[in-house]
Amino acid sequence: MMAEQDATGAPLLSVRDLHVRFPTERGTVNAVNGVSFDLHEGKTLAIVGESGSGKSVTAKTLMNLLPRTAQVSGEVTYDGQDVQALAEAGTKHFFGVQMTMVFQDPMTSLNPVKKVGEQIAETLRYHLGRSRIEALEEAEELLDVVGMPEPARRLKQYPHELSGGLRQRVVIAMALACQPRLLIADEPTTAVDVTVQKHLLDLLDRLRRDRGMSMILITHDLGVAHGRADDVAVMYAGRLVEVADARTLFFDMRHPYTEALLRSIPRIDDPVHHRLDPIPGRPPELINPPDACAFAPRCIYAQGDCLGGVPELSGLVGLHRFACLHPTGTERGMAAMAANRAAGVTAAGLPVAGGHGGSG
Amino acid sequence: MAGTGHAQLRDHDDVLLRVKDLVVQFPAGRRRVVHAVSEVSFDVAEGETLGIVGESGCGKSTVARAIIRLVDITGGEVLYEGRDLAGLEGEDLRRVRPRLQMIFQDPISSLNPRRRVRDVIAEGLAVWGDDIGSWSRDRIDELMDAVGVEARYGARRPHEFSGGQCQRIGIARALALDPKVLICDEPVSALDVSIQAQILNLLQDMKRRYGLTVLFISHDLSVVKNVSDRIVVMYLGKVCEIGSTIEIYSRPAHPYTRALLASIPEPAPTVDIEEGDIGDELPSATAPPSGCRFHTRCPRATDICREVEPVSEQIGDADHYVACHHPVEVEISAR
Repeated sequence: MMAEQDATGAPLLSVRDLHVRFPTERGTVNAVNGVSFDLHEGKTLAIVGESGSGKSVTAKTLMNLLPRTAQVSGEVTYDGQDVQALAEAGTKHFFGVQMTMVFQDPMTSLNPVKKVGEQIAETLRYHLGRSRIEALEEAEELLDVVGMPEPARRLKQYPHELSGGLRQRVVIAMALACQPRLLIADEPTTAVDVTVQKHLLDLLDRLRRDRGMSMILITHDLGVAHGRADDVAVMYAGRLVEVADARTLFFDMRHPYTEALLRSIPRIDDPVHHRLDPIPGRPPELINPPDACAFAPRCIYAQGDCLGGVPELSGLVGLHRFACLHPTGTERGMAAMAANRAAGVTAAGLPVAGGHGGSG
Repeated sequence: MAGTGHAQLRDHDDVLLRVKDLVVQFPAGRRRVVHAVSEVSFDVAEGETLGIVGESGCGKSTVARAIIRLVDITGGEVLYEGRDLAGLEGEDLRRVRPRLQMIFQDPISSLNPRRRVRDVIAEGLAVWGDDIGSWSRDRIDELMDAVGVEARYGARRPHEFSGGQCQRIGIARALALDPKVLICDEPVSALDVSIQAQILNLLQDMKRRYGLTVLFISHDLSVVKNVSDRIVVMYLGKVCEIGSTIEIYSRPAHPYTRALLASIPEPAPTVDIEEGDIGDELPSATAPPSGCRFHTRCPRATDICREVEPVSEQIGDADHYVACHHPVEVEISAR
């Protein structure tokens, strides 16, 4: 779990052993449990997971957007500065300037009763002290940069007059206003259609390259992560379960959850009526989680030792890391699978059929 | 098509549902009209799964709702076993409704939160009583068992179940009346990735077990390909292309279908489609473009597309129909 420095120089963002807990009436929700990763300048990290995996909470923690009730521990360093200290000092011109965020639903992240030009200009006036006229001129340029047709006219429109795709472009323009070095995009294309999604992802890609920005792309969509990220981190039940460069993660994964997730989604090049391989069961509760691998009840590789403690995320930050005692594609994994097939059931009680699954 | 025409309609005995020149319009105030569905024609054979794909605003959900008369039909026919549902009223409509059942996108909000799930599933049976034949607690238990929800949880309320389980309960409710046609409107879009496959497999199993004919509406081209025998591609209230799933995915002829396929972000893409950029602005459905409704975004559009609405024509002798003045007749290459 403790991380070593990556060989390729100091990362722009470094997260170490991040924990986030929310006290609720039913008990404490362990939303994020010991997350560590690095993000280097100019790179894109995708954080992939299902609802409740902790991916959005991780992003909000970085942006200091959690409610006061949240209990956060761990270390977040941005360009050598402790982000928590910046947040506590009430630093005005850090969040939204150096590090900015784009949210899923552009309608709720825009003010419905304010023209979009004014909303973009507001950021420039507050953070960079521009005059109103200067700020509106810059806002028009920004709209042009994000590919908004007729930017001068759009400045004077209200969010409801724009389509979902154009609204999201406005949100991206606002995020770019102060020339951030890190952009966090939380499900930026989940609310839009597939053709619009392609345009927005292309836009984010181009902006990242042109401006040398780093990006954290949070998504539930493995396809989005595959095409757009240098590195991919898979989260399950508040933990990172596998982190690797995109190619390794998709073609030489080690964690059974990554493998099962990829196998369960219908793909465009599968034959018609191809029988899907679903992941049995459902994601675990985050209140009072058992001291075991959270995926074990759904895992066809599960052995006795999987139930005897949470497996550590092994390996160095920056290299292929995975939290599994019987990783897929290894001898241990194959032995575990063979044992479970022979027994017809996993150590966690999940029935295993004979010809089911396999090793990556 | 983003056009009209009937070339795609089949003349079989086993056509169970035929939609012909269906028009649905909604008033939008100030005498304006939303042209949600405009002269759409297709048919579904018994035992077939027909997928309807398109982006939001293309009218796919409205078509589904019009078929079971959840919205008013402005014009055209919906023939079910030879009877026109569009003209049915009162008791006649009530009697045909159990034959066509629907499951919805948001599984939780489509179940009454104040009722026990057993009662949710039984409601249709209770309403129909002896009309539908004898029913009992056993029937509810059997349905719950079939969809994979333990019958002993029948006394619980919807909020005590996850989204995936609520969708299973919604499926059980739809199956309770022993329907012939199951209409699925984005049934897995609101579910987590790991749960989607469970529900898709369940729908296939139910289709086989209860001999269903399925109308499957989704924006997700990979999901639709997985479940459908035949596909309708819609754009702005019109049909673009209809054909067997294999035809549509291996030889997409309409520029819009090709653009959709080219936009899919895929893990390990192996399909390579060259297609021009279609922009991301959907024209208004209150004032749809003239001629072919897709011409404002189409990379192949010419003068004729602005003036003349294309009519569906068969491509070769395959089960494949396209309404386009400039269809693409190239097989897509596997990378």
